Amino acid sequence: MSDAGAADAPGPVPPGAPIALVDVNNFYVSCERVFDPSLEGRAVVVLSNNDGCVVARSAEAKALGITTGTPWFQVAPSADRWGLVARSSNYELYGDLSARVMEVIGRFGAWQEVYSIDESFLGLAPGEFRRAEARVVEVAATIREAVARHVGVPVCVGVAPTKTLAKFANHIAKRNAGMRGVCSLGSMPDAEVRRIQSRVPVTGLWGVGARTGARLNALGIESIADLRAADPLAIRKRFSVVLQRTVLELNGVPCIPQADERADKQQIVFSRSFSAPVTRAEEMDQVMAVYAQRGAARLAAQGQRASVLTVTAGTSRFSGGAASFPSASVPLPEPTNDPIRLTKAAVAAMRGRLEPGAAYLRAGVMFSGLSRDVAGGGQELLDVFATGDGDRNVGDLLGNVRAKFGEAAIGLGQGGLAAPASWSMKREFSSPKYTTEWAELPVVRA
Amino acid sequence: MDPAPRSAPEPDGGGAPAEASGFPSPARDYFNGGIDLNRHLIRDRTCTFIMRVAGNAMAAAGIADGDELIVDRSLVPRDGSVVVAVLDGELVVRRLRLGGRGASLETDDGARPTELTELADLTVWGVATRCLHRV
Repeated sequence: MSDAGAADAPGPVPPGAPIALVDVNNFYVSCERVFDPSLEGRAVVVLSNNDGCVVARSAEAKALGITTGTPWFQVAPSADRWGLVARSSNYELYGDLSARVMEVIGRFGAWQEVYSIDESFLGLAPGEFRRAEARVVEVAATIREAVARHVGVPVCVGVAPTKTLAKFANHIAKRNAGMRGVCSLGSMPDAEVRRIQSRVPVTGLWGVGARTGARLNALGIESIADLRAADPLAIRKRFSVVLQRTVLELNGVPCIPQADERADKQQIVFSRSFSAPVTRAEEMDQVMAVYAQRGAARLAAQGQRASVLTVTAGTSRFSGGAASFPSASVPLPEPTNDPIRLTKAAVAAMRGRLEPGAAYLRAGVMFSGLSRDVAGGGQELLDVFATGDGDRNVGDLLGNVRAKFGEAAIGLGQGGLAAPASWSMKREFSSPKYTTEWAELPVVRA
Repeated sequence: MDPAPRSAPEPDGGGAPAEASGFPSPARDYFNGGIDLNRHLIRDRTCTFIMRVAGNAMAAAGIADGDELIVDRSLVPRDGSVVVAVLDGELVVRRLRLGGRGASLETDDGARPTELTELADLTVWGVATRCLHRV
């Protein structure tokens, strides 16, 4: 289960099969609107932990010129005048709706890779699409309708031969209302694709950050089209194998087979392919335990805590057995980076979701709803080892995991148990936990 | 090195009741788990939501104030379906009547129905499939 091993593992992406990138438009805001239709058509922002700053905006809020990261106190005085509505982050709601969205999307794919709380790669079956490009667009539109009908949030679907291009197609779908949320690059004249690529800066590409972008610009590579035309080997020498892959993917060669660990401001993903399929629930328990702890260590290292944990697993379409892409998000009772709590939550979330007889080839644990860890006393450390409720088997578990995955596979992060004596998150404008708390169900008037 | 070899015997019955230490229970082979309400009441968990009813306008349909409704978003509403609809930015439970070009949303207490002259004006949030009523 080393990183190198994961890279060698057979990826789930068969060459030539279309890949879709499905993501939810303004996910947090869209979630708020599901149970509060009065927010439809209004300017809505969702605030970060402790109601600090804007993390999500409706189209109407964007039109007001409100940018992501704007501190709420700067906007608040004008809110009434603008008709602007603010909501605190409701991670319980977002996590639950995310799991539903991912499950619906997964039903349409030969394989699925949940990439973040609101986006997923999806492999469309190659055989089905050999016939007509029109069929690809049709399936993409069906996915969009299914998510809208089942969960009530709008998604955009980009389809292309590689993940990088699928992301790019999704970008086009989002910016062109006339496409009705669906863009398949194969349906567009190549000249048109090239024209758009020559206008979008390289930093608009998946995986190209501002720093890399600046270095590319210095070499005269400004647009996506410029990067597409670059020599992959030269790019590898000057930059990295990662950017070389981006160049190849821009040219239609799929070479990013699976998610590896990624982190951004909003979530941490720990996801791997297995060297041998996992078929038994007990084995998956161990996988979840290892991944949760690796993720917990990373959370701690970054000084962050998570409020939502998402687990995913997937079979390969080549493995023969049943196809299955279980996914579940669970809100954590309070934000944490405690490896034991996260391990318990991850194992419990996956239990009962595996298809008997299915051979799972990959799994992931994702943390979202991140907040800063506040350095504090050791109370939680004492709590954890004092309660003993179900902690008894953790020693065995760790031992098993070490034996299976190697000594280095597991470790309790030293910062993982630090916690403030009391924690309370400010959520002044929070909507109810509509789908996860019996006492907070949405009210329907009769 | 594998702590859980594939040849290891499967643990007995995942959710089965604890074994008596003396004789094995004669019911052992017949236990397949208890009744799971989720399985019986929820057709598809991705599109099923639970809502709490406020008001008695649908009492004749067996839906009382404080009851919980199981709502399936993916079902196609038909004439006579009890639906959760969006009216003036609010979620309401009504009986849907479809006829001609338009639709109407009726309460079961004889109050004036909401007439929608165009189907496009109708926003059905979901179809109510069950009502959980405390007796």
